[in-house]
Amino acid sequence: MREPLREIDKLADQRRARAARLMNRRKTKTAYLFLLPYLALLVMFGVFPVCYAIGLSFFDTISGAFAGLSNYHLALDDFRLGQSLLNVGTYVFMWVSLMVVGVVVLASIIDVMPRWLGTTVRTVYFLPGAVTSAAIVVLWLFILDPQVSPFSFVFSLVGWENRFQVIDSIGLAGVFTLMAFFAYAGGWIVVMHGALTALPGEVMEAARIDGCRPVGLAWRIKIPMIWRTVALMAVLSLANGLQLFVEPQLLGLAGPQLARNDWSLNQLAYQYAFALGDFGVSAALSTMILMLSVSIALWIVLATKFYRID
Amino acid sequence: MTHAGSAPQRRPLWSKLRFWHLCVGAIVLFALCFFGLPLLWLFLAASHTDSSLFTAAPFSWGTWRNVAQSWSNLTQYEGTHLWTWAFNSLIYSVFGVGLSLIAALPAGYILATENFPGRRIILLATLVAMITPNAAIVLPIFLEMHLIGLNNTRVSLILATGFFPFGVYLAFIYFATALPKEILNSARVDGANAWQVFYRVALPLAKPAIALIAFFSFVANWSNYFLAFVLLTDDKLHNLPVGLTSLISGARALSFSAATGIPIRRPEAILAAILIVLPVLVIFLFSQRFIREGQLAGGDKG
Repeated sequence: MREPLREIDKLADQRRARAARLMNRRKTKTAYLFLLPYLALLVMFGVFPVCYAIGLSFFDTISGAFAGLSNYHLALDDFRLGQSLLNVGTYVFMWVSLMVVGVVVLASIIDVMPRWLGTTVRTVYFLPGAVTSAAIVVLWLFILDPQVSPFSFVFSLVGWENRFQVIDSIGLAGVFTLMAFFAYAGGWIVVMHGALTALPGEVMEAARIDGCRPVGLAWRIKIPMIWRTVALMAVLSLANGLQLFVEPQLLGLAGPQLARNDWSLNQLAYQYAFALGDFGVSAALSTMILMLSVSIALWIVLATKFYRID
Repeated sequence: MTHAGSAPQRRPLWSKLRFWHLCVGAIVLFALCFFGLPLLWLFLAASHTDSSLFTAAPFSWGTWRNVAQSWSNLTQYEGTHLWTWAFNSLIYSVFGVGLSLIAALPAGYILATENFPGRRIILLATLVAMITPNAAIVLPIFLEMHLIGLNNTRVSLILATGFFPFGVYLAFIYFATALPKEILNSARVDGANAWQVFYRVALPLAKPAIALIAFFSFVANWSNYFLAFVLLTDDKLHNLPVGLTSLISGARALSFSAATGIPIRRPEAILAAILIVLPVLVIFLFSQRFIREGQLAGGDKG
């Protein structure tokens, strides 16, 4: 009596499983229909260009022959590469340090201000973020010119009389650091301040009752509690800084004496493609720069828990 | 002067001042000057002539006539295509934002609500693409566009800026956290198909996410320089940042070896910078909260 029933059960299970499979397959199909426009763009402007650049980097693009690693040799042997690595390295080091110290200090100060004052001050810090790419270079070429600069009184104090002297004294890495801090610090101050206000009030209250002064409170309690956000800012700034292009490229606006076309790594790659027409070496350089950034990105996603992927 | 948020006491204000109050005040004042004065100066300087920039006091207002003169120089000089560039900027921004929304919203929605094979790898690729700085991929995109013959076309820039992984991630986070599953389920029970659930139920509830994505996408597109500079060599296709800088550079408006006879001088360069900055500045005035929401959701590359 039991046997036939078991058979029917088995049959029903199989049917249910098949229905579920069918259902799942339909669901997957629908999901990919929703994803279609995005995936098309992802392939066209993410996956394909990367693969193509990697492929191209193994070819002599002028003769069209397979060239093995010779493009990489050519790029690595370029005497300008070491210098531009050093330039970008100096800039990134200065910029990331200034961001970590500056943003944390300024955000911590806003956190202890009366609310209305804090909001106003934060807005002033934040607005230069609107000055981007081309406009920031134009603006800063004026700022660095003692004859018209809003900070001319500072320059006259230290005795710098013209723009060359100013840029020479600060150094190009320093100039780009100031530009980038001017434009990007404000956005991160807003974020950091958001992180500070989200800290639990009881902890702050307890520390205050224990006699912790505002400076100690910031240094011993608040900053250790937001260090993850600080670290994320540092890593993202680092990844971004390595890609410097627009600022050095546009310095030539101030005259040929200041023009630099191989100051940063990206400029060098650009030079190979546009001045020499050697796409192979350009692709080799781009590939190396890209791999650096992608490794940083992969590390952030896989090794830290800043972003959720589930 | 800045205060600590300590409990009010009945002593005169000055007696509460400490040395560190002065230090903090000095830091804030310094920072306010560093971030505030250049912008203030930019808007005041536009009212001067090339020579009064040097002679007038640094933060003085010149005349409106000077502004008008610079404006007419900027628009009427034969080498400029100011209106074309402004039009291009608008087209690139509107279509770039539109395309990024069309691609990002359904993608983020489905990644947040369904589990299907390949979902994790797509999310991972999206995050990597989002964290990798845009500048890293500009030359590879140029090489690709050169391959398929799309370089120097409007379409190439619009398509490239329509790829906006940060937008997908924002939509994903929004739909995963702010959209109650029960609403979707009850819509399904009522007989709505997948598309109707998305279009009729999820999308109308996603207005904050749409605003957030549009904001970040617009800011990125309006001020796009590197990609536009590399992809578009024809000056009729330039956007405002690329067009105006090539104009300033060609006229040597900011260099010492002046006297090219071209009426594009320092005031025109200042006006050009304002033109590039102003739309984003206006949006920024109302959008601090976007920055915080966006970066808390997962960081922007800025």
